[in-house]
Amino acid sequence: MIGRRFKDAIALRRWLVAAALVCAVIFPGRGAAAAEKPLPLHARIDRAIREAYDGPWATRADDAEFLRRVSLDLTGSIPDVETARAFLDNPDTAKREQLIDRLLDSPQYARRMATVFDVMLMERRGGNRIAAAEWQTYLRESFARNKPFNRLASEILAADGARRGPRAAAKFYLDRGGEPHLLTRDVARLFFGMNLQCAQCHDHPLVDGYLQEDYYGIYAFLVRGYIVKDKKLGVEVFAEKAEGDVKYQSVFMPEETHETGPHLPGKPPIAEPQFKKDACYEVAPADQVAAVPKFSRLAELGRLVAGGASEAMTKNIVNRLWALMMGRGLVNPVGWQHDDNPPSHPKLFNLLADDFVRTNFNVKAFLRELALSETYQRSSQLPAGVTVAQVPDDRYSVATLKPLSPEQLAWSMMQATGVTDVRQSSALHKLAGDDPRFFELLEADAPRRAIKASLLENTVHAGLQGQVGSFVNLFTGLPGMPDAYQASVQQALFLSNSPQVQGWLNPASAAGVGSLMAKLNQVEPTGAVADELFLSVFTRRPTDEECGMVGSFLAQHPGEGRAPALKELAWALLTSAEFRFNH
Amino acid sequence: MRCRYACGSPEHMIARRTFLGVLGAGVGMAAGGSGPFLRPAMARQLEQSGRRMLTIYMAGGLSQLESWDPKPGTDTGGPFRSIATSVPGVRISELLPYTARQLHRLALVRSINTKENDHGKGRYIMETGRRQEPSIDYPQLGAVAAKFLAPEDDPLPGYIHITPGGNGFSKQDAAFLGPKYGAVTLGNGKPPSNSVRPEKLSETEEVNRQHLREQISQRFNLRRRTAQTEAYTYSYEQARQLMLQRSVFDVSNEPPKDLERYGTHDFGRHCLLARRLLEKGIACVKVTHSNYDTHHENFNFHIEQLSEFDRTFATLIEDLAERGLLDTTLVTVISEFGRTPRINHQFGRDHWGKAWSSVIGGCGIHGGAVIGKTNDNGTEVVDREVSGGHLFHTYLKAVGLNSKDEYTVNGRPVPMADPEAEPIEELLS
Repeated sequence: MIGRRFKDAIALRRWLVAAALVCAVIFPGRGAAAAEKPLPLHARIDRAIREAYDGPWATRADDAEFLRRVSLDLTGSIPDVETARAFLDNPDTAKREQLIDRLLDSPQYARRMATVFDVMLMERRGGNRIAAAEWQTYLRESFARNKPFNRLASEILAADGARRGPRAAAKFYLDRGGEPHLLTRDVARLFFGMNLQCAQCHDHPLVDGYLQEDYYGIYAFLVRGYIVKDKKLGVEVFAEKAEGDVKYQSVFMPEETHETGPHLPGKPPIAEPQFKKDACYEVAPADQVAAVPKFSRLAELGRLVAGGASEAMTKNIVNRLWALMMGRGLVNPVGWQHDDNPPSHPKLFNLLADDFVRTNFNVKAFLRELALSETYQRSSQLPAGVTVAQVPDDRYSVATLKPLSPEQLAWSMMQATGVTDVRQSSALHKLAGDDPRFFELLEADAPRRAIKASLLENTVHAGLQGQVGSFVNLFTGLPGMPDAYQASVQQALFLSNSPQVQGWLNPASAAGVGSLMAKLNQVEPTGAVADELFLSVFTRRPTDEECGMVGSFLAQHPGEGRAPALKELAWALLTSAEFRFNH
Repeated sequence: MRCRYACGSPEHMIARRTFLGVLGAGVGMAAGGSGPFLRPAMARQLEQSGRRMLTIYMAGGLSQLESWDPKPGTDTGGPFRSIATSVPGVRISELLPYTARQLHRLALVRSINTKENDHGKGRYIMETGRRQEPSIDYPQLGAVAAKFLAPEDDPLPGYIHITPGGNGFSKQDAAFLGPKYGAVTLGNGKPPSNSVRPEKLSETEEVNRQHLREQISQRFNLRRRTAQTEAYTYSYEQARQLMLQRSVFDVSNEPPKDLERYGTHDFGRHCLLARRLLEKGIACVKVTHSNYDTHHENFNFHIEQLSEFDRTFATLIEDLAERGLLDTTLVTVISEFGRTPRINHQFGRDHWGKAWSSVIGGCGIHGGAVIGKTNDNGTEVVDREVSGGHLFHTYLKAVGLNSKDEYTVNGRPVPMADPEAEPIEELLS
C-alpha cells in the first residue's frame, strides 16, 4: 500500500512538473521572469554598422558572389563546379546559412585556419626545430576541434616543447631562436595587437599608449627562456631559468634605471613566490639539461592568457578575425591598437570582444556570426553613380576587395582547372579499390562520411601541396613581415608561361572525372561550354554578352583549332583580375 | 662604331619610354600595398637623369694584396710586384695591367675596415651598407637603384644580377621596398625565368589570349577598379613588353668582335651582356665573378681569376667611357672582405675584413683618387678608415639620392643609409 502511494506520489510530481512546463510555454511571462532573447551577434553587428554611416550602401551580394567569397574565406579555395551549380540552383531561402555551416564543418576549414594562423604567427619564417608538418597538424587539429582561442594562445605562450603542452606549440619560440627581444616584439604585436618595436629603447615618441614599461613587462615573462638540447629528450627545448631580473633605461633618460617583474600591458606585475636561492629549481640547469624552475613565468603567462586576463589579447584576436573576413580590421592597421589609432566602430569593437569572451573564445561561432551578417554579405560592386574615391575606407558600406593569398591562389587555380577534382577522383577510386568493405562502412552515417571527407582531403592535399611552393615564393613578401600585396612582372610571367600553370590547362582525367579542359573538349553547344567554364573558374554563370563572346571566339577557331581556343579562354579567365581577387 | 642611340641623355630616356609603348599618365598606377616613397617631383627628376649602376662582385674575398693595394717586398707581399698605372704615383698589382691603364677613370678606397670575416655577414655589409640586424632587413643597393632610378612602369627589371649559375628571383634583396625590386638573376647570362612563350603556344594564340583576358576583365573593371587591380592588370602588360624585348638578354646580338674583345669565357660574355643592359637603361646590373676564396694556392688562383677579370673589366670601362655612359654610370668593384696579409701554410690567404680595398668610379666620382692608406705590410688601416656604411652613402649620393633621407616602414622611420656614417666627400664633386 505504501508502495502504491509512493508510486502515485512520484507520478503526481511528474505530472505537476510537466503541467508547469506546458504552462510556461503557453503563458510565457507567468511565474519565472521571461528571459528576453538577445539579438544574435550578426544582427547587432549590422545595426552598429548601419548606425555609423548614412550610406550609400552596396546591395546584398548575389548568390554567386556570396558563394565564392565565403568559400575562399572559410576553406581557402573556390568551390568545385558541382557545388557551385547546386548552390546557385537551390531555391531554399536558408541556403546561405546551411552553406556556412557545411563549410565550417569541412576538413578544408581546419586546413584554411591552420594556414592563416601559421602565416599570422610565423610570418613565413623558415626554421626546423619544429617541422612545418608537425606545426600544421597541431594547428589543424586545434581548429578541427574548435579549441577555444584563449587555450590555443595559452598553449603557444607557455610552450616549452618538452613537458608543458604539445611540443609543436613551441614552434613560435623555438623557430625564432628564443631571442628574447624578438619574442617580446612578436608576442606584443601578434598576441596583444601592440607594435612595441620602438618601446625597447624608450616610450614611443608618437604613440602615447606604448610604454617602455609595457615592453619590459612582456620581456620579463620571456627573458628567462633559453634554447637547449636536452640530452634525455633528445630534442631542443625552450627551457627556463629561475633567476634573471629585468632592468632598463630609456635612451632619453639614461641616468634612471627601472626594474620590473613580468606584467601584461597596462596591468600590475604578477605575484611571484620567493624561493631560497638553492631551492628555486625543480630541475637545475646543467650541460644538456633543460632547467625547470619551481615557478615558471612562461607557465604563468599561459595561465593569465587562458584566464582571459588580457583585454588587449581578446581585442587583438577579434580584430584579426574580423579583418580576415571583412578585409579590414576595426583597428587598422592590425597590430597598432592604441588610443591614437582608435577602432572605426568603438562600441561595436567592445561588443565583439565581450561576446567573444562570453562564448568562451569560440572561433568558429564568431566566424559564423560574421558570415551571417549583412555587413559581410554586402556586395563589392559600387552602388550606381558612386566612384571608388567616394567610398570611405572604414564604414563597410561596400565590400573590400581582398587579393587572394598565395595559397588561396594556388588552390583555387587547381580547383578551377579541375586538377583537384581529378586528384580527388583518383584518391576515391583507390580508397574504394583498396578496401571495399571499409569504403562501404564510411558511407554508413554522417560522422563516418566526415571521416571519409577528411581522409580524402588529406590525400589530395598531400598530393598537390608541392604545387603551392612556387606561388608562395613569387607572391609573398619576406619572412618576418606580414604578407603585403605587390604585383610584379615575374608573377605575370609565371602565370603566363610557366610549365606548371600550362600543365594545369592540359586535359587529364582519373576514374571518369575529367579536368576542366577534358570536360570542355567534350562539350559541344556554346551555352554549355560557357556555363561550365564560367562556373568552374568564376563560380558564376556567364552573362549573355559573355556567352556571345565565347561563341564568336569559338566560331573563329573550328576543328583542330577548337581545343587550343578553349585553352586560351580558360587561361584568360584564370588570369583575370576577377579571379585574382576575392570580391 | 659609336651607337647613336646610346647617348645616355635625358632625352634618350624619354624616347626609350615612348618606344616601350608606355605613356605616362593613365596607364600603370603605383602598385598597391604599403611602401616607402620619395617626394614625387624628385622621383621623376631622378628617373629622367638616366643614372644607373654597375657592380662587379668578386665572390669569395678578393685579395687586396694581389690587386688594389700591393705590398711587394714585405713579409706579407707575396711573390708579385706592383706596376705603375695611368695615375701618377699610384701602383697596383702586376696582375692587373689592363685595368692599370684605366685607373684614371676610377678611384681606389684602400682603408676599408668592416670588422667582419664571415662571408654572409661581410657580403651583407657591402651590399646593404649595414650590419645585419635581427629586427629589420635592409635593401641592397641594386634594389634601391631599381626603386629610384628606374621608371615605375618599366617592364624590364630594374635590378639584374648576372651570375655564373642558378636562375630565379630573389626578393630578399629588396627587403621592405617590396619583391618588385628584387634582383632578377640571369644564371650564366640566360634570360629571366618564364620569359619565353610556352612551346605549344603560337604568337597568334598569345595575342588572342591576352586580348581575351582584357575583354573578360572589362566587366569586372567597370565597377570594381582599385589601385591593386590596376597593378595586377598592368603586370601583364609589363610581362608582354618584357617578352617582346627578350632579345635584350641575348648577348649574341652584339657584334662578334666585341665578343672577342671581352673574352670568350663566361665572365667576358657576362660583362658584355652587362654593357648591353646598361645601354638599354637598366638601373642596376651586378655581375658576379667567382671564386676568390683562396685559402690555398692564393697566388695561382689569383693569376687565373684576375687574368679573366683584368682585360674584360678594362674593356668594359673603356667602352662605357667611349660611349659617354661613364658619366651616368656608377661603377663599383666589391667583395665580402679582403684577404689576410699572413700567408698560411697552404700558400693561401684567409678572410680579412680589417684592412682591405674596393674600387669605385663613374657618375662624377673623381678619377684617379685614392682614399685612405694601410701600413707598410697591410696589417692595418692608418688613414681615413671607412666601412660599408660610408661606401653606401657615397654610392647613393653619387647617383643623386640624398643618403640621409628616410623611408617609412611599418610606421617607423628607417634611414636610407647607416646614420653612423656619411658619404666620402673627397670622392664626390
